[in-house]
Amino acid sequence: MLDTSYGLLSLERNSFAFFTQFKPWLRESSTIFPATFCANLKNGLEMIDLVPMSLLLAKLEVGEHFYWEIAGLKIHGQVFMTSWFVIALLLLFSVLATRKIERIPSGLQNFMEYGLEFIRDLAKGQIGEKEYRPWVPFVGTLFLFIFVSNWSGALLPWKLIHIPGGELAAPTNDINTTVALALLTSLAYFYAGFRKRGLGYFARYIEPTPILLPINILEDFTKPLSLSFRLFGNILADELVVAVLVLLVPLFVPLPVMILGLFTSAIQALIFATLAAVYIGEAIEGHGEEEHG
Amino acid sequence: MSWTLLLAVEEGGGLFDINATLPLMAIQFLILAVVLNKVFYSPLGDAIDERDGYVNSSIVGAKEKLAKAEKIAQQYEQELAESRRQAQAIIAEAQAEAEKVASSQIAAAQQEAQANKEQVQKEIDAQKASAFEVLEGQVASLTQQMLDKLLSAA
Amino acid sequence: MEPIVAVASVIAAALAVGLAAIGPGIGQGTAAGQAVEGIARQPEAEGKIRGTLLLSLAFMEALTIYGLVVALVLLFANPFS
Repeated sequence: MLDTSYGLLSLERNSFAFFTQFKPWLRESSTIFPATFCANLKNGLEMIDLVPMSLLLAKLEVGEHFYWEIAGLKIHGQVFMTSWFVIALLLLFSVLATRKIERIPSGLQNFMEYGLEFIRDLAKGQIGEKEYRPWVPFVGTLFLFIFVSNWSGALLPWKLIHIPGGELAAPTNDINTTVALALLTSLAYFYAGFRKRGLGYFARYIEPTPILLPINILEDFTKPLSLSFRLFGNILADELVVAVLVLLVPLFVPLPVMILGLFTSAIQALIFATLAAVYIGEAIEGHGEEEHG
Repeated sequence: MSWTLLLAVEEGGGLFDINATLPLMAIQFLILAVVLNKVFYSPLGDAIDERDGYVNSSIVGAKEKLAKAEKIAQQYEQELAESRRQAQAIIAEAQAEAEKVASSQIAAAQQEAQANKEQVQKEIDAQKASAFEVLEGQVASLTQQMLDKLLSAA
Repeated sequence: MEPIVAVASVIAAALAVGLAAIGPGIGQGTAAGQAVEGIARQPEAEGKIRGTLLLSLAFMEALTIYGLVVALVLLFANPFS
C-alpha cells in the first residue's frame, strides 16, 4: 500500500512529504524490499497516465508550502490566497445583502439574516442575554470564516489551479490559521474577563479551591491547543481521507465520505464558534463551567 | 508544541510549520471582523432589531384593536340578548293579554248565553204556569160539563 | 532516517489512530444510545437533543483526531528523523 501510494502520489518528486522524509531510507534500503514493490511502483506510475483527471484532483501534498517572503518573513502564500478568496466571498455576500435593506426581507438579505440570527442565538445561548451583543462580530466572524473556509476547501476544485509549491486548500487546513484563531479566542476571553471584572478575574484561578490553581492555569493553555488542533486535525483528516479514497477509487466511492466531510466541516465551524462563545461567557460570568474537549 | 516549532525551523517546511503566517492571519481576521461588523452585523442587526420593534408595536396595536373589537362584540351580544329578551317579554305580554281578552270575552258570552237561557227558561216557565192556570180554570167547567153530559145521558 | 525509527514511527502512527478510536467509539455509542432513548421518551425535545448530541459527538470525535494528529506528526513531521 505504501509503495503503490508512493508511486501514485509522487509525480512531482517532493509532493508527498512523508516520503520525502523517508526517501533516502527508502532508496538505500531498496534492497530490503522485494522486487515486486518496485514493479508496483512502476505500475502505479503507468496508471497515472491512464487517469490524468483523477490524478489532477487526487494529488496529495502534505507539508508543502508555497512560500512568500515579506520583509524577510516567510509566509504561506497558498493559505493567504484561499483566505483572501474566502474573505472576498464573505464581503461580497455581506455587501450584496445589505445594499438595499428592506423591512420585509427577500432573497439574499433573507438568507444572510437567517445566518445572523443563527449567530446571535449561538452567542446569546452561551454568553447570556445581557452581554452577548459586543461579541456577536467576533463569534460570528469566527463561525463564518471557518465555515466558508471549510466548505470552500471541500467544494471548490482548488487543485485544478497549479501554484509553484504546495497546493491550494482550505485556509483552515494550515496550522497557522487555526492557531491564530485559537489564540485570538484566548485573547478575547481574557479581554472579556478583564473588562468585566478587572483584576477580580484572577479569582477564577483559585475557584473552587486554590488546589486547582495549576489545573486552572493549564486550562488556559489546553483551550487554544485543543481548539486549534481539533479544527486543523478534522479538516486535514477530511482532505486526506478523501484524497486517499480518490487515489484508490477515483469515481463515486469517495462521494459519501465527501458529504460526511461537508457535514463535519460545518459542525467544526459551529463547535469552534460555540466554544469561543462558551469561553467568553465563562470569563464574563466568573465561576467556571466544566471544560470541554 | 515547542519541538514542532523547532522542527519547523530545522526543516523549513512540513505540516507544523508555524511562521509569520500566524500573526498576519490573526491581523487579517481581526480586520475582517471589523469590516464585517461595519457592512454586515451592524446594518442587518439594526434591520432585525428595527423589524422586531415594528412587529412588537404592531402586535401591541393589534392586541388593543382586538380587545376593542371584542368589547364591541360583547356589547352587541349584550344588546342583542337584551332586545331578544324584550321581544320575548312583549310577545308573552301580548299573548297574555290576548288570552285574557279571549277568556273574558268567552266568559261574557257564556254569561250572556246563560242569562238568555235563564230568561227564556223563565218565560217558558211563566207561560207554562199561565197555561196551567188557564187549564186549571177550565178544569172546573169541563168537569161540570162532563158531569152534565153524563147525568143527562143517564 | 534509521530504518528502525521509520518502522517504529509507522507502527506507532497506526497504533495512535487505532487506539484513539476505541474510547471515543464507545463514548459516541453510549451518547447516541442515550440520545435515542431521550428522544423516544420525549419526542418533542428531539431538536434540542439532536443539537446537543451532535456537539458532544464532535467533542468525542476530536479525541480521535488528536490521535490522528499524533499519527500525522509521526509520519509527516517526525521529530526523530
